[in-house]
Amino acid sequence: MSTRLSKMISVRRTTLISRKVLIDSLVRLSPLRLIANPVMLIVEITFFIVAAMALDPEAFPRLANSSLQIFYGEVALILLITAWFSTLSDALAESQAKNTANSLRRLEMEVSSKKILIEAGSRRIVPTPSRDLRTGDLILLEKNDTVPIDAQVLEGIAMVDESLLTGESTAVRKAPGDDVIGGSQVLSDTLTAKITVNPDETFINQMIRMVESSKRPKTPNEQAVTIVLIGLTAIFTILIGALLGVSLVLSLAADLSVLIALYVCLLPTTIGALLPSIGLSGISRLYKEKIVAKSGRAVETAGDTDVILLDKTGTITVGNRQAVEFLPFLGFNERDVGEAAFLASWHDDTPEGRSLIRLAYEDGFVPKEMNALDASEVYEFSASTRTSGVKLAGGTGFMLPKSGGTGRERGRLRRKFEPHVEGGVPIGSDETEIIKGAPDAIKKIVKSVPGDYDKVVQEISAAGDTAMALSRNREAIGIVRLRDVLKPDIREKIMAVKVMGIRPVMITGDQPLTAKSIAAEVGIDEYQPEAKPEDKYDIVKREQAETRIVAMIGDGTNDAPALAMADVGLAMNSGTQAAKEAANMVDLESNPAKIIEVVMLGKQLLMTRGAVTTFSIANDVAKYFAIMPVLFASTVPELKALNVLGLGLNTAVLSALIFNAIIIPLLIPLAMRGVTFKPSGTMTLFLKNTMIYGIGGVIIPFVGIKLIDVAISLL
Amino acid sequence: MDWKEYFLAALIVNIFQMALAFVIFAFQGVLPLNPQGFPGLSWDLAFMQVISFGTNTNLQHYSGEGNCVQLPNCTALRPGVPGLSYLSQMMAVQFLQFTSAATGICVAVAMIRGFIIHSKDSGNFYVDFTRTLTRILFPLCFVASLVFVGLGVPQTLTGYQITKTVEGAAQTILVGPVASLASIMQLGTNGGGYYGANSAYPFQNPNPASDVFQIFLMLLIPTTLCFVFGQLIGKKRETRPILWGAYALFALDLLIAFTPNFPVVGPGMEVRFGGFFSVFWTVVTTAATTGSVNTSLSGLYPLVILSAFNGMLIQATPGGKGVGVMYMVMFIVLTVFIVGLMSGRTPEYLGLKITARDVKLVMIAFLVHPVIVLVPTVLAYSTGAAGAIGVGTNSIGFTKIFYEFTSAAANNGSDFLGATANTPFFNISTAIVMFLGRFAPIGLLLALGGSMINRKRLTTEAGVRTDSPLFALILVGSILVLVLLTFFPFLALGPILEFFQGRVNGF
Amino acid sequence: MVSFKRELWQNSSPAVRLAVISLVLCGLVFPLVITGIAQVFLPSQANGSLVQLHGKNVGSSLIAQNFSLPIFFHPRNDSASGVDPDITVQDAYSQITRISTATGIPMDMLQQIVDQNEEGTFWIFGTQYVNVLRLNLVLIQTNNSAYKAFQ
Repeated sequence: MSTRLSKMISVRRTTLISRKVLIDSLVRLSPLRLIANPVMLIVEITFFIVAAMALDPEAFPRLANSSLQIFYGEVALILLITAWFSTLSDALAESQAKNTANSLRRLEMEVSSKKILIEAGSRRIVPTPSRDLRTGDLILLEKNDTVPIDAQVLEGIAMVDESLLTGESTAVRKAPGDDVIGGSQVLSDTLTAKITVNPDETFINQMIRMVESSKRPKTPNEQAVTIVLIGLTAIFTILIGALLGVSLVLSLAADLSVLIALYVCLLPTTIGALLPSIGLSGISRLYKEKIVAKSGRAVETAGDTDVILLDKTGTITVGNRQAVEFLPFLGFNERDVGEAAFLASWHDDTPEGRSLIRLAYEDGFVPKEMNALDASEVYEFSASTRTSGVKLAGGTGFMLPKSGGTGRERGRLRRKFEPHVEGGVPIGSDETEIIKGAPDAIKKIVKSVPGDYDKVVQEISAAGDTAMALSRNREAIGIVRLRDVLKPDIREKIMAVKVMGIRPVMITGDQPLTAKSIAAEVGIDEYQPEAKPEDKYDIVKREQAETRIVAMIGDGTNDAPALAMADVGLAMNSGTQAAKEAANMVDLESNPAKIIEVVMLGKQLLMTRGAVTTFSIANDVAKYFAIMPVLFASTVPELKALNVLGLGLNTAVLSALIFNAIIIPLLIPLAMRGVTFKPSGTMTLFLKNTMIYGIGGVIIPFVGIKLIDVAISLL
Repeated sequence: MDWKEYFLAALIVNIFQMALAFVIFAFQGVLPLNPQGFPGLSWDLAFMQVISFGTNTNLQHYSGEGNCVQLPNCTALRPGVPGLSYLSQMMAVQFLQFTSAATGICVAVAMIRGFIIHSKDSGNFYVDFTRTLTRILFPLCFVASLVFVGLGVPQTLTGYQITKTVEGAAQTILVGPVASLASIMQLGTNGGGYYGANSAYPFQNPNPASDVFQIFLMLLIPTTLCFVFGQLIGKKRETRPILWGAYALFALDLLIAFTPNFPVVGPGMEVRFGGFFSVFWTVVTTAATTGSVNTSLSGLYPLVILSAFNGMLIQATPGGKGVGVMYMVMFIVLTVFIVGLMSGRTPEYLGLKITARDVKLVMIAFLVHPVIVLVPTVLAYSTGAAGAIGVGTNSIGFTKIFYEFTSAAANNGSDFLGATANTPFFNISTAIVMFLGRFAPIGLLLALGGSMINRKRLTTEAGVRTDSPLFALILVGSILVLVLLTFFPFLALGPILEFFQGRVNGF
Repeated sequence: MVSFKRELWQNSSPAVRLAVISLVLCGLVFPLVITGIAQVFLPSQANGSLVQLHGKNVGSSLIAQNFSLPIFFHPRNDSASGVDPDITVQDAYSQITRISTATGIPMDMLQQIVDQNEEGTFWIFGTQYVNVLRLNLVLIQTNNSAYKAFQ
């Protein structure tokens, strides 16, 4: 499970060094551009000094030796390459981020809407992309239409599915004066509505701004890391200055180029070179998940999440219930219920309706009245009765209906369908009316209510499921058990979240028993049943009062206050404008389960920054042992005892410098894709990474420098 | 008081106290309690000495018993060396030893207050100072002084005793108010002895019992303050990284000092209580930045000196009273920030998020040390000041100069040069180094503590657990890497080079 | 800057008071109290652990004094303070032959005197040593004939 998750967050890298990137990296070598990166600016300055030594050693009395001109040239070249590796990494990261950002433009929510144009008193429907709608425009919303943007109902009553936006599974009734939310879906009837907001493109614009390094504001953590780097640079500058002074006053005859080599090796060049690209690639990785962050800060905060509010619908469950069992009342059998369900759902294209057909089909309850469906009268779902159904008039049996269902379903039925031995029952003139709906709605239309009606319904609720009642010719024949379907992987994801010490809280509009059973199934200990959207705000407030960092998703207007208050708020692109404004991230794919990936990415970003910083500092230990024996070799030969690696005295400095330079491009992939990690507790991650990047950071350069030294001496 | 007011109050009180002591030093010749008739100190020496004692450093460019070459059987003492009257020993040296120790404890507590939940300010310096003196230092020193007298340390105001030896020669017995000074000098991690030879002089350290007792006193308050930290912030477990970190480094110092060379002291050198004691003392006195010595540093092997450098460069093993804890908190914040980032959370310590400003304060505090150690070391040679007092340009000479400023910056006070460094250059340069080495980090770390007040505090304990043994280990590793990275080349030119040159003891 | 100056001014009065009070307490009252108590209860130690021979002070047991005659144990002169009153037991043994030759005291008797005056361990710390002045006083007091001049 964990490998799958880590695979999910380690983004495949397809970047190639293009010509454009190459040119960009060279342009960035200009000292004016490098000012933004003090460590690298210093490396470039040292390049100029050593280059001057190579050209005219006599200009540096007591510090340079004219017999070493070639050596100076080599050192200068490596210094320049070191700086270039840094600008190359910047250019790469920026180009990658820009490419991703551009590709996201295409994902921008595009919904076609039916705009009503009133010309000379007559109404005309014009298909219009949602982007072109403006406040005040009128639109027509028919069954199965997606509401393009937030609007207000002017005419009509309809049931609207807002489950993806509010987390409530039930359909909502909308009447004139009500607001319909962008992204919700009309389930029945027809509405006329007026657009209340303008579509907004700011996310994409904001996104593009964030990836342009020159304008990208540093996050608080990035600022702090920069201060550490400047501090270390200051320390090493003093150190090298003092060492130069000591060499002069004690006549130790240190060569300036070796001193500079030591200086550059000690400077935190690795993290200095990679720091900008680490932050940028973090944002790029979010983009690849189709998430737009409004600030880098929110991404960092995501790593600190203590509590994560998960809407049941859309995050934990797929959003629709599925039929799992037929329960007949006394006098009927399962087949009766199954066949009735089949017939009643044939014309019902909702996922719920399709699940009834599938269950009946799988149980072999394919009704003989099948072909009667062609001539049936369909009762569309209506908000007022909260039922739907079908009235069959006659039919010869055996034959497959020519309409309804899907082509694939009809094909499968053809293979599965076997006529009953006694032959088809001619329905003749008898009419059969089958109605399905909520138990209390069906209760009202049947002639008599079976004695165990309420008991069965209650038992189903107690198990966390939902009941749907079926009547045939106004007689209650049975109940269908509908169950929430979990999203694939959700259990593993919840487990990973818990392993990392984050507390998941499930928010659902369901009644407590249903909520409890689903929570238990996915391993969530805390849940809020019968939640109204405004409850989220209270939960965020309560958790924050306990100083916890809260992450949440939301999309409805009602979510806006909670989204604004939460430390990490991820809004769905399908959601309302208000929600998107309030949140600090927007998921263009409107997949609420991604909040978990956001938390992972936040952690990964911080981890990567820490890992490269630690690695960079730990590297310095080995470099001392490479360069110190050479620095005063002519005057203090005893210090050669520090040459524990047995490096060649002529090659040690170059080896250390080359290692120092080459480690930058070697770590670019790490900076770009981030440190891979298995979800685990804070301390485990801390200790594991300290082993790899801290202790490893001390050891690796010893090995690397030795290998380079051997390679050089072979040349 | 907020941290600024607190710092200012501490600074002003300290400056007034140093000014009073300056008057005593400069005019001791005309002031009472001067049975030996010592003249006043020169202005630059008096200036350097008040800063030395006022900053808890106790670098001494004089010899307390003075130039008593005209006195019988005083040959061990160097001629031309300034001495101190009883009044100076009491009202300048001992006085500042008390007040600088108290100040150290006060500022540490003031910084810790910032980390206490719901604390409103840094406290009141005047109240803290008075209580530290009357409730901690006076009672402890009272007991310690009497123990010292019982063990043979003199405590008298009558002048030097002239006696006739068994063989009939005249001999001067250098007595004075030694016990009361010895108690605060060790307890307050001051280290400035009554005599030039410090605790190598039998009257200041008569026997092994007094030797062990002094080691105990040196470590008492710095170690206790590690516990005070956990106690005050209400999380006793948080004492662990400070205490464990300090003593793990201390153990490492001992390892460096002892393992490679046994016997640990060169032949013919001071072995009053055996080589073990001399080396152990040296490690303790630098680890606690006390600076008292019970042996001549010149008699020690290079690796013992390396270990002494370690103690003074880290300053938190357990460090001087008060500031040791402050430095360790500084190292913890730095470690939590750099290494802790790898836990995948933005760094926090004690539930407080580490901000960019915190990092800035910590980095500057860390930066002060290399500046004030390395710059004057180079200057001492380039100005010719080192050559003027006969210090050479070889590894031995370099070690002495580097040690002098390291000791001054760390407010330690042990040194190779002693009264030979009584020149305007060394007096003024060490005075500046000691002052900056003391008050710059204190001000910066008080600001760090002060900025924690009213900061949002996470009670979730979801960050890196600083109270775990593995964290202490990582802390030790980070401290070693950070400190050694900063000073390694200079250690390499000093004690490490001497070691490679095969010096047994060579000064 | 203005507020800094004001704070400086506001602080100076209590600061001066505190500085003066602490000077009197730390620099005068404390050492005088200790001196008083020490002089009353521990006068010998407080005054330098002086040692008497025939009622006259002949030095301090804690400060080395010069012994040059071959009949005495000699102190060492190479230490940091130059006044170490003690020598190691081995050092004392090495001087036994000389003293025996000069005084005629049997070597085993001298060795016995050295052994009887061994000191220097505190719990597990320290190495064995002997106090030179004490040894010599024992010699004087136990061998009247050999040390006639000092009786």
